Amino acid sequence: MAACCGKPTKKELKKHIPTKTSFVSPLTPTWRPLPQQDMHFILKTLKDKLISVGLEKKEVKVFRPWKKKKDQKPPAAPSEPAVPQVQDSPQNGWTVVAARRQLAIGINEVTKALERNELKLVLVCKSVKPKHMTSHLIALSVMRGVPACQVPRLNQNLSEPLGLKSVLALGFRRCASTDEEVFTDTVDAIKPRVPSLDVAWLPGAAPTVTPEDPAHMEVEVEEEEEAGEKRGQKRKLESESKEITESSSSCSLQPLKVKKVVTNPARKAKKKVKT
Amino acid sequence: MAHLLKDKEAYERLNYLYQAAHCVLSQNPENVELARFYCFTQRTVARRLVLKQDPSVKRTLCKKCSSLLIPGVTATTRQRRKNSKIRFTVMRCLSCGQSKTLLNNPDYCLWVDRPEAQLEQQKQPGDKPQINTTQQLLSRCVV
Repeated sequence: MAACCGKPTKKELKKHIPTKTSFVSPLTPTWRPLPQQDMHFILKTLKDKLISVGLEKKEVKVFRPWKKKKDQKPPAAPSEPAVPQVQDSPQNGWTVVAARRQLAIGINEVTKALERNELKLVLVCKSVKPKHMTSHLIALSVMRGVPACQVPRLNQNLSEPLGLKSVLALGFRRCASTDEEVFTDTVDAIKPRVPSLDVAWLPGAAPTVTPEDPAHMEVEVEEEEEAGEKRGQKRKLESESKEITESSSSCSLQPLKVKKVVTNPARKAKKKVKT
Repeated sequence: MAHLLKDKEAYERLNYLYQAAHCVLSQNPENVELARFYCFTQRTVARRLVLKQDPSVKRTLCKKCSSLLIPGVTATTRQRRKNSKIRFTVMRCLSCGQSKTLLNNPDYCLWVDRPEAQLEQQKQPGDKPQINTTQQLLSRCVV
């Protein structure tokens, strides 16, 4: 059995395993790993800050009878509108409204604020399943030059003090003029600990880099204008070519990534059953 | 199967076009047309030669206009939910308005990412994990 039929059947079976090669993206952005100490520090500072500010969303759970609405509606109806009206103002909602405005809590809010460039710091929970819920934030925050990092237990730690079900993303907004809230010192404490993100096709990942480059460019342009037209033009051409070479060097070609995948046998079985 | 058949050049072309589209958008975020042309060419090449693309690539391309979807530049990403607690991640292409919905199921794993699908682990025949009918057929063939 094994000896005589072993080799040819093995070969046949190897061929029988159909594989497909698929082109994989070499440019999927990934988060940088955060060292344990920094993670604990960040979590601790956030928690202390939130508890000290006392920011919490309070919801009064109104008892709503499910069954037999007809019977309980007349006695319940007059009591229900009376009760929430009284309880809305002090208890229902956020405790410290000013602090709530300084934060962007929740993935949608953080995404919108990032698109409008309103944030100084972005913290994302790492224990997110599925990952595509927050993966878009990486590229967004790199483009806006905002430090962002993935903290593993953000969700577990922050949902309790805030009184929310789940906190997967947190952003600190830029203050207009007067720094009313004390979040600024937390932001400054956390910022240096955040590892710089890198996306292969985007130049200038860390926030410190982007302000330097336009500053350099501006300085060069000013110098050229002062020097004179011809010289200015030459220098402009040189600086332009320099800029192009810099940007193109940052966009170096990543090697080809291909994956070999075995076809899903469950799929084939289903087709056979159908036909 | 031989490692990377005759279509290696085609795959390299796909690779180059994809990265070129990214570079174009990084240098000039308003030049969506060129990036779309590159991605359109990439899709045509893959279609003509019947080359498979990973979901990580396909999820960043718009199905309708085949423009490169970059959150913030060419696409918006939102979390939505239907009333029955089912949550989606919706990516909307800004140029054509086509939306791509991904279900937020924490337990779902793409076939491509599963360990069963990786070729390196399948050196011995008949070692396929527990998918009943085909495994039984194969084992019967061996015997």
